[in-house]
Amino acid sequence: MVSLLQSIDTGHEDMIHDAEVDYYGLRLATCSSDNSVKVYDIKNGNTLLDDLKGHFGPVWQVAWGHPKFGNLLASCSYDKKVIIWKETNGKWGKYYEYANHDSSVNSVQFAPAEFGLVLACGSSDGSISILSYIRENNTWDAKKIQNAHAIGCNAVCWSPAIYPEPAFDNNSEHTLKKMLVSGGCDNLVKIWKEEQDRWIEVCKLEVHSDWVRDVAWAPSAGLHRHIIASCSQDRRVIIWSSDDAITWNSTVLHTFDDVIWNVSWSLNGNILAVSGGDNKITLWKQSLEGNWQCISDVGKGSSQINN
Amino acid sequence: MALNWNNEYYVALEGKDLQANAMAVDITGTYVLLAGRKYFAIRNLDEEVQLVQKFPRQSKYDVGAAEWNPTMHHKELCVISSNQRLEVLTWRKEELAQTHSLKAHTRVITDLNWHQMDPNILASCSVDTFIYIWDLRDSRRPSLSLSAIAEASQVRWNRLSSNLLATSHDGDIKIWDQRKGTAPVQYVAAHLSKIHGLDWSRTSETQFATCSQDNTVKFFDTTNPRKAEYILTTNAPVWRARYTPFGNGLMTVVVPQLRRGENSLLLWNTANRATPMHTFMGHKDVVLEFQWRHKRPGDSCFQLITWSKDQTLLVWKIEPFLQKLCGYEPEDPHEVTSYHNPKENVEKIVRKAVPKVEPLQQEFSLLNVHIPNLEVKSMNFPNRVCSVRACVNRFTVNLEVTFPIAYPHGVPPNFEVKDGSQVDENVANQLLQTLNHLAQQRVSKNRTCLESCLRQMVTTLEQLITDSEADRMYENTIINPENSFGGFNDAYIPFPRTSGAKFCCVDSLICFGRVSHARRLSTKMEIATPRALSALENILAKRSSHQLSISAYYYQKPRSRTQHYSAKPSKVLVHIYDCSGLFLVHKQLAKDYILGGDVATICKHNAAAGAVVGRLDLVQAWALAELVANPQKVDEGDIWAHHPFNSHLMESLISHYSSLNDIQMAAMLCCVFGKQQELLLAMNEKNAKTPKSQAHFKLVPSTFTSSKITKHILHKSSSSPYHTIPPADVIAEGWVFPSLETIKSSSSVDCLWSENTRTIKAPSSNIYEYYKLAYAETLYRWGLLYNRAEVLKHLSWPQEIHKGVEFLCDCKNCIKPSRASSCNSCRKLTLNCIVCHISVRGSANCCIVCGHGGHTIHLLQWFERNDVCPSGCGCKCLIETGNMFGD
Repeated sequence: MVSLLQSIDTGHEDMIHDAEVDYYGLRLATCSSDNSVKVYDIKNGNTLLDDLKGHFGPVWQVAWGHPKFGNLLASCSYDKKVIIWKETNGKWGKYYEYANHDSSVNSVQFAPAEFGLVLACGSSDGSISILSYIRENNTWDAKKIQNAHAIGCNAVCWSPAIYPEPAFDNNSEHTLKKMLVSGGCDNLVKIWKEEQDRWIEVCKLEVHSDWVRDVAWAPSAGLHRHIIASCSQDRRVIIWSSDDAITWNSTVLHTFDDVIWNVSWSLNGNILAVSGGDNKITLWKQSLEGNWQCISDVGKGSSQINN
Repeated sequence: MALNWNNEYYVALEGKDLQANAMAVDITGTYVLLAGRKYFAIRNLDEEVQLVQKFPRQSKYDVGAAEWNPTMHHKELCVISSNQRLEVLTWRKEELAQTHSLKAHTRVITDLNWHQMDPNILASCSVDTFIYIWDLRDSRRPSLSLSAIAEASQVRWNRLSSNLLATSHDGDIKIWDQRKGTAPVQYVAAHLSKIHGLDWSRTSETQFATCSQDNTVKFFDTTNPRKAEYILTTNAPVWRARYTPFGNGLMTVVVPQLRRGENSLLLWNTANRATPMHTFMGHKDVVLEFQWRHKRPGDSCFQLITWSKDQTLLVWKIEPFLQKLCGYEPEDPHEVTSYHNPKENVEKIVRKAVPKVEPLQQEFSLLNVHIPNLEVKSMNFPNRVCSVRACVNRFTVNLEVTFPIAYPHGVPPNFEVKDGSQVDENVANQLLQTLNHLAQQRVSKNRTCLESCLRQMVTTLEQLITDSEADRMYENTIINPENSFGGFNDAYIPFPRTSGAKFCCVDSLICFGRVSHARRLSTKMEIATPRALSALENILAKRSSHQLSISAYYYQKPRSRTQHYSAKPSKVLVHIYDCSGLFLVHKQLAKDYILGGDVATICKHNAAAGAVVGRLDLVQAWALAELVANPQKVDEGDIWAHHPFNSHLMESLISHYSSLNDIQMAAMLCCVFGKQQELLLAMNEKNAKTPKSQAHFKLVPSTFTSSKITKHILHKSSSSPYHTIPPADVIAEGWVFPSLETIKSSSSVDCLWSENTRTIKAPSSNIYEYYKLAYAETLYRWGLLYNRAEVLKHLSWPQEIHKGVEFLCDCKNCIKPSRASSCNSCRKLTLNCIVCHISVRGSANCCIVCGHGGHTIHLLQWFERNDVCPSGCGCKCLIETGNMFGD
């Protein structure tokens, strides 16, 4: 069912912490403890396109922007900075640097293109920053949710721009509500919503018993409701579902052997990839009856697939 | 250098008791003077240890300003200001002694500045409105006195022209020529608020920069003093702005005041003033002073020395990429220093006076022999040999370096490990390899390499001892932060991920992780992976490992030492898996599916496509869809298309595929279903106009759940559903309903009916739109743009409205702009063809300069032969339009 397409030797001098492929699946970005971000062409012979240096600490996460805004890549680091890189004429350069966090920035994600060029950043100083590009005067506007999570925010994720709104009218200007989900060291998952230029907390979800490490809002294609996956230091993955994004039901997907670091939804379909401290990756799918089943293990290093 | 570079800086001095508020760096870049009310302190930056010499100072006044003499001739002199007096101190033989005391000012001295070229000249300015120029050879009184009327806050000698100096007075700048001391030669009204800092350009004698309370840095040229060349705006008052010795950079610090979090220095490129190039963060309190360290030959990095109110002295490394960001391309180091640092002009002249200095001799003389654990035994210039001895723990290496004649122009020196060394062969080989590599790198750029190689040797040996970093490349240990982690905040920073998986694009899964042989360095107490980064510190501290890195946590010390050295650096791999097998969405199908043509053809073709990829369920589904959705059969009297189950079947088909997450099939069915709806609607309208057909009545009852009475009325009255007046027979039959009621029910039924045909699937239609959008997104990612457009054509609500330049036609009758081809108010076609004078329906082109246009085909024919507008307006449409877009 799953076949290895290629393996790329990133040449990083230290552990890598994140890897992501761009919108079209042409380029790979990786970031590492060696303070660098590398960009590879994965369609034509896995060549290194650029080695982006500018962080002065381990780089935790990278995120690609939608190609309609140009080739943008965001990275966040232990050095408290978020850098947005841009490619112009084949050369990558620093496009914008945001240094208004007081501690390590742990997570960055670009919003769906329908919301415009917007980036969310979650930091260990407990706040979430939302950076929006303003085309008119070529500047970035930063909004900050102070104290979003006590102690620290570990992950942020945008809601999909396509989601079922009950009152959908053909004639009225349908404005998409920007929503975010975040997870932090207060063991909470929180849902945020933008209302009149302000970000307000819609609800907080309290089931995890330890730090929440990652959150992922499922692309709602084909679903009639909102689904969020969250994973935590408590070795559990929890699936949250809701019809109105206000009341949420939780289901424990599974309790794993080690802490879980990552959850990721597939673009189409309800497959969830889960990975954590034990260096293993599992894929999960919901059956028609609503049960979650592990459909395969992707072994790392050995590139073995056990169905 | 075995210095502890924390990311980009190291702490050179931490002195809580110094309470110094002035700092100065000497011309050689070796000594830093810190001056406070109670102490002077001298820090030798070439020493590894925090070697500080303190000298008590007896004064009741604080030190206002301090500066070392910027010339090599008097490099031992430094001057400080103390209330109304200037004190010149001499640093000689590790002793600091006051040699001159200059007293003439009657109020507190605000600033002082050495002449940039003449070693004996010094300028000072004061609140007493006078600017004095002193000559140390006669220190009794000022050699020149400039009267400024207003109190001066800054004084700066021009860096290139020996006679010019500038002073700042509140918001104004005065420029003086010391040959004409009676009045300023120029007066610049620079800012409206107080000027805090003033700096002359290092490259042009007419340019200077001022920074002020009004949050701006302005750049002036004395040839045009009325207007600032350009302005750099920040979000806080700027305390100091100084040009960098490289490129066109500028360094700023903000005003020390009760603001928190503004303790960083900003590096700007003056060519790009929108955002700072870099932020230097590290100080916990406001930065009081910053200065550039004299650049060592052979060192690619400039160094910046900063002193902050938090009583720490930091040394920052300006990496080549930051220099590059400021528009500086490193060249040969000797040229660079002399070109970009006019302070050194004198030095350069001195050097030139000595005929033909050999580069090697120069390198030997400039070599800093104070390298820890390393002893330079001999440097023999005529034989071009240098021998050193390094002792690191139990390793002793005697190294001989021989320099060929052509060195350093592309030819590296030879390294040889001599007798008496106590290292095994492995280590020696690795060491030589590292040194040769580094030397080759440097000489390929015509740079000298001795000092860096020697430092590298010590570092390499140390690393071999500490033993935990065999997985690293040794090329750039200087840059590598030894301690990238540490600090009280780490307790709240999550433990880094070292493995992960992400779904990207449509169907790939990106995985990365640790190599399989990597084992976790865990104690028995530690079963699960720790949650915070601080755990790393604790665990590694127990293991007495020097390296605080995440890889050190996972890679344990191997038992055998030799095996460890030979271990190659492990590859850091990212795997990309193709997961398309997990999803029902199929790329080949996406290419093969069609949406054009009539419903029967679409369904047949798509069923065949499904069969090709082996999806038999799709073949069945498409066959069913054809049966359900083909409205052609209506004419044949087949009632199946209008059967109540018809739409339900279609809906359940769609919901089946959506619950399987086959967004592709769901979206395709939605499109086909939409097509069928349109056709039905069109047909119903046709039927409504000729209300004799019975066909559409059959639709109605099936969807109605209202009372039998209503139904009855409907049956009776619906022979003409658009009429609101009930036929007479309803009343005649003697129903008890008042006629008004009947009318009402009839009209409401009418509404329901029309609504019914239009949107049978009303509650779920939004979801159907989302299916189409989601599928379109998938197609877009696959690059199937044509197929995407086909799907988007079936959306029931319009895509986002075009935002940008739009060309509209004014209606020729009502003179109102219209977006469509016909006018909104008079319904006539808006555009007349300029060639045939007939209204244009369909493809049209217009000249955006003169506005004339018409049928595309007519204009094509016309412009094949002519180049002016067919209207006779004289516009050369093709050329003018071309010019318009050419900009």
